[in-house]
Amino acid sequence: MTADGTEGGRGESIDTSAGPRVGIPITCTINRTPIEAVVESRRTLADFIRDELGLTGTHLGCEHGVCGACTIVLDGRAVRSCLMLAAQADRTEIPTIEGLADGDELHPIQQAMHDTHGFQCAFCAPGFLMTAVALLETNPSPTTEEIRREMSGNLCRCTGYRTILDGVERAVGLMADGMKEEGDE
Amino acid sequence: MSSRSGLGGFVGTSVKRVEDQRLLTGRGTYLADVRVEGCLDAAFLRSPYPHAEIASIDVAAACALSGVHAVFTGADIERLTNPFLPFSMMTNLYTPLHYALSKDRVRMVGDPVAIVVAESRYIAEDALDLIEVDYEELPPVGTIATALDPTSTPLWKRAGGNVLYDDNAEHGDVDEVFTRADHVFTETFSCPRQSNQPMETRGTLVEVDAGTGELTVHSATQSSHMLRWLLAAYTERRSVLDSAKSFARNKQRRAGLLAGARSFLSESADDLKKQDNSGMFAQVRKEPSTLPHMFRTALGVAGKERFPTVVAKDIGGGFGAKGAVAREDVALAAAAIELGRSVRWVEDRVENLLDGGHAREEEMTLSMAVDDDGTIRGLKVDVVLDQGAYPSTPVAGAMIMQMMRVMWPGSYRMEAFAQRSRIVATNKGKYVAYRGPWANETWTRERMVNVVARRLGMSQAEIRLKNIMGAEDFPTAMVTGPTVDETMSTRKTLERALELADLDSFERAKADAAAEGRYLGVGIANYPEAAPGPPNYWDSLSPGSGVFLRQTARATVARDGSVEVRTPQMPHGQSHETTYAQIAADELGVGIEDVTVVYGDTSRTPFDLLGTGGSRGGPVGGGAVRKAGRSLRGEILDAAADLLEASVDDLEIKNGSVHVSGVPARGVALADVAASVVGDDAAADSLAFDVSESYTSAGDGGWSTATHVCWVDVDLDTGQVTIPRYLVVEDCGPVINPAIVDGQVRGGVAQGVGAVLFERVAYDDDGGMRSTTYLDYEMPTSMEVPDIEIEHLETLSPGENDFRGVGEGGMIGAPAAITNAIEDALSEFDVTVREQYLPPSRILELAGVITPD
Amino acid sequence: MKNPEFDYRRPETVTDALDLLAEHGDEAKVLAGGQSLLPLMGLRLATPAVVIDIGRLPGLDRIEVADDGSVSIGAGVTHVAAEENDDVARHAPLVHQAMPFIGHTAIRNRGTVCGSIAHADPAAELPAVMLAIDAIVLAASTSGEREIRAADFFRGYLDTALRDDEMVLGVRLPPWPSTRGWSFLVVGRRHADFAIVGLAATLDVVDGWIAAAALAFSGIAGTPQRIDDAESLLVGRAPDDASVAAAAEIVRDAVRPSADIHATASYRTHLAGVLTRRALAAATNVIGVAT
Repeated sequence: MTADGTEGGRGESIDTSAGPRVGIPITCTINRTPIEAVVESRRTLADFIRDELGLTGTHLGCEHGVCGACTIVLDGRAVRSCLMLAAQADRTEIPTIEGLADGDELHPIQQAMHDTHGFQCAFCAPGFLMTAVALLETNPSPTTEEIRREMSGNLCRCTGYRTILDGVERAVGLMADGMKEEGDE
Repeated sequence: MSSRSGLGGFVGTSVKRVEDQRLLTGRGTYLADVRVEGCLDAAFLRSPYPHAEIASIDVAAACALSGVHAVFTGADIERLTNPFLPFSMMTNLYTPLHYALSKDRVRMVGDPVAIVVAESRYIAEDALDLIEVDYEELPPVGTIATALDPTSTPLWKRAGGNVLYDDNAEHGDVDEVFTRADHVFTETFSCPRQSNQPMETRGTLVEVDAGTGELTVHSATQSSHMLRWLLAAYTERRSVLDSAKSFARNKQRRAGLLAGARSFLSESADDLKKQDNSGMFAQVRKEPSTLPHMFRTALGVAGKERFPTVVAKDIGGGFGAKGAVAREDVALAAAAIELGRSVRWVEDRVENLLDGGHAREEEMTLSMAVDDDGTIRGLKVDVVLDQGAYPSTPVAGAMIMQMMRVMWPGSYRMEAFAQRSRIVATNKGKYVAYRGPWANETWTRERMVNVVARRLGMSQAEIRLKNIMGAEDFPTAMVTGPTVDETMSTRKTLERALELADLDSFERAKADAAAEGRYLGVGIANYPEAAPGPPNYWDSLSPGSGVFLRQTARATVARDGSVEVRTPQMPHGQSHETTYAQIAADELGVGIEDVTVVYGDTSRTPFDLLGTGGSRGGPVGGGAVRKAGRSLRGEILDAAADLLEASVDDLEIKNGSVHVSGVPARGVALADVAASVVGDDAAADSLAFDVSESYTSAGDGGWSTATHVCWVDVDLDTGQVTIPRYLVVEDCGPVINPAIVDGQVRGGVAQGVGAVLFERVAYDDDGGMRSTTYLDYEMPTSMEVPDIEIEHLETLSPGENDFRGVGEGGMIGAPAAITNAIEDALSEFDVTVREQYLPPSRILELAGVITPD
Repeated sequence: MKNPEFDYRRPETVTDALDLLAEHGDEAKVLAGGQSLLPLMGLRLATPAVVIDIGRLPGLDRIEVADDGSVSIGAGVTHVAAEENDDVARHAPLVHQAMPFIGHTAIRNRGTVCGSIAHADPAAELPAVMLAIDAIVLAASTSGEREIRAADFFRGYLDTALRDDEMVLGVRLPPWPSTRGWSFLVVGRRHADFAIVGLAATLDVVDGWIAAAALAFSGIAGTPQRIDDAESLLVGRAPDDASVAAAAEIVRDAVRPSADIHATASYRTHLAGVLTRRALAAATNVIGVAT
């Protein structure tokens, strides 16, 4: 039955202001773009990024912090965007998957994953990529074992992980080469 | 070989994925990413009880909540939709009719009883908390044992108990073989519930055009055409008379339907003639309402003016779970139609773990007849499949059981086989196909072979080599029916695996480790997979099911020279956009980037019932693409021959231009050939060439095979099992893209590792559900999946297209190889591994380190 | 799986936060990193009317070492901040060793040390560690501050000695004697899972004899649990194989774990013994390595 008590028909008492009951003003920088918004108390950062900013590259796989698909980088660290309120993101800087490539030029981690056939369905890919980005930012030359351990916080159901780990290893090389080239210039 | 002339170029190389540019940059469009103006969100109220009568349901408070548009209960849904009808009707099978929402009774934890449509998912969930349902609990049926007990409370009143299917089949002279064999060994094996668990949950968005009322259904589905037809059928509730009138009035529709039916009937005449209808009569006898429901549904479809268009874009995995048309989809569509508003449902992970698809819960008793020298003579199986509460549509347990029956003997010579098959209803989530859905035949067969080897004092390699079919046997047939030719190359994969495995030096390492208190083991498993299987494989399952060996592809060239390949396959991780582009590009002499693969949109793709499933993407879908590409090439060359005033035989297509062989200068670009057909003034996308080819893999293809070898290291302090080495030698014929095939194999093995060591859908014996989050349904991470060595063999088949399927195999072989290895590691404790799921506590129980609670 | 409605409050000072707590009591939940609270709210197992975000309260993000060598960790300090902190590594090596076991990096980047303690999951790492080292939880309310010993803090499953109007301001890790060895070990199903059984162990060895011992387990009861009998058995003995075996025996007899879908009770009992053996051996080997 519907809101007006009739069976199956169209409801009447639609609250068009069904948005935030208590609005929290936030400012943050997402993919180098300054954002000012008023968010609902309970809205997660993931839902804010996806539904209000339209950045749907950040995926929701479990919404309880285990699968890692929603991983973003917040102030230089990998975090689960499903386990944060949008309100908590006030005064932070956030790159998401959409912010990695420079136009058509892939970020080294994206290029590396392409080269190694990193993913299949790729639903998990944004989380893995952002986890890898944060890892390589804090540790530009991780060992094979460190890569395996750091990537273990993200679940992939398709690949058995080998090609993803290969991709991170390859990105380490690509990024080191990139640094060298920059140094040469 | 002329039939292989297209090979070369891209096919056979690890072309990088076309999909990546989109998917690695966050620009994919998975279901939850689809944005439709004004779309509402739905949430389902689900039963907290495994088995209960619904005494009352009160949705008034939920409806009154600000932001809620409507709440539909089971009663509403019964008025607005048709029930799910039996899809495969087999002799001795009863399929319970059921609606999208439950009205009077709930039969599992998670059973949907109401759907809330609101401004947002947040508000919809708020409303769920306000719905009041009075349940009166019924005795639950939580286990196979309870379901087999005739005094258990029946889930379905008309089923006459909880056994929905009971069938016996015999192949060969079973009594004779079992009487004469030197030994008969018997063991019982059980496999717990597993779950497919794609990283993207299920979900559907029903978009309603406010002006016309037309529906566009966006969905994470493996079979978009099936979803289109079933949604059309199940949401059509006009009276039989109205439907008939409408059918009579609508000339165009009538003509289209009749033409479609004629072509289907003519193409499928042989298959249809073979089909056995006794199952349908039995169903109708038990459930007379089947007939009027079927009649109204069928006529409803016939008279329906407008069908929904189903659009599926990127899909985050499925492994079989998204092949089912969900009850939620039908409820959602009904709600959207009734409200005249677009509505979406994005399943959350808890819902997905409750009822997104469970699999493989079977108990199996195997008796193997063998001679003293290790010759396997015959096999008898008694298998019970726990289907849960509601049969999934379209592939339910009965079809999978037929696959198990046909495949149980595997690659071993056998004179006789018998199977008793039962399906039971329990108060649990629905059983769906999961990557190699029949795979427990491989698991139990390969386990049984090891059990027998040990009892006879043979090695696991020795007994396999003795019994496995090889060149001297071909052509032959499995005792269960299907033809066997050289593509049943399991002996080759086994022999190569044994070379690579070097088991002698392992035995020395094992002895050394034992001296240090470490327990090492090795396990071997062989299997053939019908991918696609010989034509009589499908008839062996159920006469006339060869229709699944057919798929159509359409290939076009537009005025601007762009090539499109349209397929009814529905990629969800298998990289069809890359592999089909490889096939088409080779046929047409163009680059990968010149080919666009179109899928998922029913208004643009050829019809096919199943879409993607059953490892048919390479052999059937790929065969159709090759055939269509070849026809298209012919048409292009014909047109170019006129332009170039040359004979077709002298022409070739290379780098996107047609020229006389060896004279690249005398050529004409593909776009110019196209323009010569449609005229220079035609729009860039107007089609110059347009070819559809239906491809049946009959006579071609055959088997994919593999041997898996797994090494384990068992820590008897903690019960933890590590896998220091894992080897797969597989043969799926010519490989389209080696990197993609390796990815399929590794992914399958990883799921097998999960099945044995980590994953279990955990129900209490009374139907309570314990694994509702990822803290409790544990899938392996990068720390647990071993490195997997893969070696490809390539046995060619005589057919026109000998790509063979490879999507499922990894998961078929792995549980057998791993459990065999664990049993081997524990050999000094004289252990027989009878369960597929072996968590650390079970390992220690088996080794006698601890006692069960 | 979406959060229920609540009012989000982000006070500017600790005093403001305590006022809010005093006003809302059990209707309120304190949010620091949110890595335990948010999943509970998403599942609607926690439905607070008010959520008080203390994640950025000034002064709570500090790690300080006192003259006596004790280390204070404020309620805003994340796991990763503690993990990377040199003072924690030097003065609280057991805590340092346990940090990487707490979930995955992305969780540790947001989750806080004190949040994990206040959440009091008996399977979690830090409650057992705090119990092993006799840490002091600093609780505050509008009526003042008080110190709660770890042994008194953990009351039951997700239940602590905190009153509804109280919040954790920090935790103090007592000075670390140079004679102390330590070990933190877990056995889980997968890497970084909650342990099936975990053990935080310390061993003080003076002149070749065990002067004190702590064996604090996770995963065997509704709270983290120390096995006093095993600890007292060890005191006065040499840290040798016989002592270790005797302690393991007592542990196996003393624990009364329950079964769940991941492990049977007898498996947990067995693991408690195995971990005792492994942890005491490891602890003996690192005596004198720290400070």
